[in-house]
Amino acid sequence: MSYVNRFLLVAGLIVLTACGDISDDLNPSDNDQREDVVAGSIGNMPGQMVADFTIKDSLGNDFILSEFLAGGATPADVIVLYFTMWCPICLSHSDHLNNFIIPQFENRGTVIYGLVDYVSGSVSITRASEQANGFVNSDFITLADENQLLFNQLNAAMGTVVVIDNDGTILLNEDYRTGTALADILGQQLP
Amino acid sequence: MKPALWIISMVFSVNIIQVVFNSSARAASCCGGGSGASLILPKFSRAMLDFGASYEHYDGFWDNKGNWVADPRGSDLNQYRINLGYAHRLAPRWQASASLPYVWNRNQYSQLQRNTDGPGDASLSFWYEAFDKIACVWEVNTWEDLIPAVYWGGTLTVPTGVSPYDDVQDNFDITGRGFYRFDASVLIDKTIYPWNASFSANYGQYLERDINHEYGTAVEPYEKKLGDRFSSSVTFGYTHFTDEMNSLTTTLAYSYLKEDKAEIDGITDSTSGFRKKSIALTLAWATPSRDWVTKLSWSHSPTRDGWGENFSATNVLSLGVSHVLR
Repeated sequence: MSYVNRFLLVAGLIVLTACGDISDDLNPSDNDQREDVVAGSIGNMPGQMVADFTIKDSLGNDFILSEFLAGGATPADVIVLYFTMWCPICLSHSDHLNNFIIPQFENRGTVIYGLVDYVSGSVSITRASEQANGFVNSDFITLADENQLLFNQLNAAMGTVVVIDNDGTILLNEDYRTGTALADILGQQLP
Repeated sequence: MKPALWIISMVFSVNIIQVVFNSSARAASCCGGGSGASLILPKFSRAMLDFGASYEHYDGFWDNKGNWVADPRGSDLNQYRINLGYAHRLAPRWQASASLPYVWNRNQYSQLQRNTDGPGDASLSFWYEAFDKIACVWEVNTWEDLIPAVYWGGTLTVPTGVSPYDDVQDNFDITGRGFYRFDASVLIDKTIYPWNASFSANYGQYLERDINHEYGTAVEPYEKKLGDRFSSSVTFGYTHFTDEMNSLTTTLAYSYLKEDKAEIDGITDSTSGFRKKSIALTLAWATPSRDWVTKLSWSHSPTRDGWGENFSATNVLSLGVSHVLR
């Protein structure tokens, strides 16, 4: 067997070991493969209702979603959750939120901006990361998703942004990308 | 020049180039690492096999202002790669090569532990040698002795790695960028024994693609194009020959990598793009016949402000062996 054939054989075997994972990249598709959801059902997709949750903030206080929804103790117009692992991309997104999105809507209703730390595993480490990355005393509430319960509930990933209306409806659940979709939704929802 | 030395020169100069190219900067695992490096075949050789293994340790990152930031407490981020490469001569001035990496991610990020593996992004290259005579000399007698070897190359990166747009759980599963990319390269190399210097520049453009999945979740389809990529490297080397005509070359390289901002549905993603500078030290040991070359390389990104932007700081230790077929 020639060296060329040997190389192609080995290379082919390596590729085939993961061909199920890479086919989307080799031949990208523009087919919309989202499943239909029943509006108002409990879930994590836009159009569905988010199940109530309680999560600790970086100071150890309980953050209870229902308290920020209509009828709660401190209702907001919209809740924005951004899932961070304090990586370069996450910090770029957080900075964009902080420098462009928040100022753009600061005089239009009440918005809760939450940074959800899903990697630290404890309130104290979340607090340390919040401090190290300069988000103490910012407009964000930093939340410690200690056991990734919220991460799993919302089927999130690094850089996911979730927007929840004040009736609990999920309006957006996708990668932050350019922040354009977030700005569009806030523009529609806020007075 | 004596025939033996002439052969040594022509083979050895290209092996230095190959070592340097294999030491070029690579992407971070959370951003899709494991890209295969280019191979360059020595002139007048028929083919070359290359096997390399590398270990990359992540040491914080630079934010979008260029300030270095430590990883969260308790983090230990590592990527291991093996790379299989083959280069083949098509014509006296033309050669082609292919390279395929396999990647293991071993990450402890704060309290999150993830161990995954998969193929990296493969690459296919064509190189044109803009010279017929060996450009390596032992002494300069005429101005022609100063003419360098110039290579022009084109590379297609194929997204055989695992990207965020595949059926993956999270970013720790990623071993590739998920985009096709075309690169145009130039390499200028001059050796006046025992000294060597080279300069390389590379400009790459990603192809726009459709995306309908993010981390395994179906999303409303959109189009994305990563930013154009530019990289450059300068090297200086010194070769020591033993009495048996084995050789040991030490090369110091400085590399610069920059990727422009991406576009999503035609809108510039202001949170994307990155740049990184690094230095590398390489030792290459070659047998007298120069058909076996063993390379050891260490690439370092100083964890200081200004050495990068929006990108991970890493140290890379690489070990490789090349076998040239005459």
